[in-house]
Amino acid sequence: MISFSQVTKRYPGGHEALSGVSLVIEKGELVFLTGHSGAGKSTLLNLIAAIERPTSGVVSVNGQNISRLSRRAVPYLRRNIGLVFQDHKLLFDRNVIDNVVLPLDIAGFDRREALKRARAVIDKVGLLNREKANPISLSGGEQQRLCIARALVGRPALLLADEPTGNLDAGYAADIMAMFRDFHQVGTTLVIATHDERAITALGGRTLQLDHGRIGEAAA
Amino acid sequence: MIGWLRHHKHALGAALRRLRVQALTTLLTALAMGVAISLPSGLYLGLANVSRVAGDLPAQPEISLFLDAGASAEQKQAIAARLGQPDVAKARFVPRDEALAKLSASQDLTDVMAGLTENPLPDAWIVRPRDASRDALVRLADGLGKLPGVAETHLDSQWAERLQAALDIGRTVAWLLAGLFGIALIAISGNAIRAQVLARRDEIHVSRLIGATDRHIRRPFLYLGALQGLFGGLAAGGVLAVAGTILEAPIAHLANLYGSSFHLMPPAALDIAAVLGLATLFGWLGAWLAVTRTLHLVETSHP
Repeated sequence: MISFSQVTKRYPGGHEALSGVSLVIEKGELVFLTGHSGAGKSTLLNLIAAIERPTSGVVSVNGQNISRLSRRAVPYLRRNIGLVFQDHKLLFDRNVIDNVVLPLDIAGFDRREALKRARAVIDKVGLLNREKANPISLSGGEQQRLCIARALVGRPALLLADEPTGNLDAGYAADIMAMFRDFHQVGTTLVIATHDERAITALGGRTLQLDHGRIGEAAA
Repeated sequence: MIGWLRHHKHALGAALRRLRVQALTTLLTALAMGVAISLPSGLYLGLANVSRVAGDLPAQPEISLFLDAGASAEQKQAIAARLGQPDVAKARFVPRDEALAKLSASQDLTDVMAGLTENPLPDAWIVRPRDASRDALVRLADGLGKLPGVAETHLDSQWAERLQAALDIGRTVAWLLAGLFGIALIAISGNAIRAQVLARRDEIHVSRLIGATDRHIRRPFLYLGALQGLFGGLAAGGVLAVAGTILEAPIAHLANLYGSSFHLMPPAALDIAAVLGLATLFGWLGAWLAVTRTLHLVETSHP
């Protein structure tokens, strides 16, 4: 589903976030990206979602070459990818359900169908009683679950999560990891950047260790 | 197709909601636009009304040739011969008696006429030249004036022509103003939309990350600009209606003094539609420019 071939990402100023990375992630896999901060985890995720483009090498997602993807094609790629952000990126000018429904509005869903699906996902992440609340009134863990709900509502085949449990205490973190395990079990491909060792041992799956932009595969 | 319609309905709804939430800003922008639109369209409307007065005047230029009361028969014959030449399209002789009879019949001067002991009017020719251009007209009138036995020539169309020329300038000015205020309209709309885009940069950023196309992001702003333009056009209509109401009485008074039943004509439905359409178009255009420019800014400033 995802393949990197000799991918290098160099930022203006010369900092090299990724150096000659090659990897393959199969459909339905659960992969953890680990490494110290600044090792290139976020850059790697950004390259998969075409938020950034590689300086050299080939990134391919679903058989599409990301470097050659036209600006117009990027939105359609992203509709197949659920993104979970460490800082949630929620919109505070609307309530919980309107945040979740946003991807479906963008994809042109019928409003009633969209609300039905959004409600189902909100139920799954345990926020059904907060449906009308403004996300600003939610706790950190709830905001993260809301972000996950938004990522999942479009039923993406691929979920990318950047430090999804970064700011959460252990209880919330375990909840969220359990949720990811469920998605993995229904066939979603997951790539999770984290340094939460407990989560990795709890869920199993493959671990890719990034060190200064280079990759080393650790045993699960 | 259904998805496309749904997108548009959604964008229009979002734009309307935003306008309602920011009712005061909407109102002020509409007023600014309305004033900008009302100036050229008000001028145009005024000119259309003046043209209506001018329309009653003879558009075809005519030269009146008044003969000397003491002109001899030979002189009269020479004049008639001159008027038979090809640069004259048509010449009609009006004997002094006929002129007097017409005058008494057409105006309420019967009393005055009855007091006259003799006919004060001269014999006259009404000459219609073949070439109606300004230069040819003047040349012909000058030439005829120099003929012996001719007391005076008079270019009937002179006044109408000057008015027409002045109206032409007025119309050009109206178009010029329309162009300038069109630019102002684009600027007002662009500025309003730019502020909107910047205020919603987070939403734009997030929408992008979850698969919104450029068009999807642009659409509500374009609707916003178009609606804002439409409201501006309606405000201009309001401004003109108020101005018309205020001017109505003094104009009726002036017309009355001239013995005319002239009154201000409201604009035709087609003109109103054209102004509203153009205002909407310019609002849209301003929004398009602002969104295109500002989206670029928003995107490059976000990591």
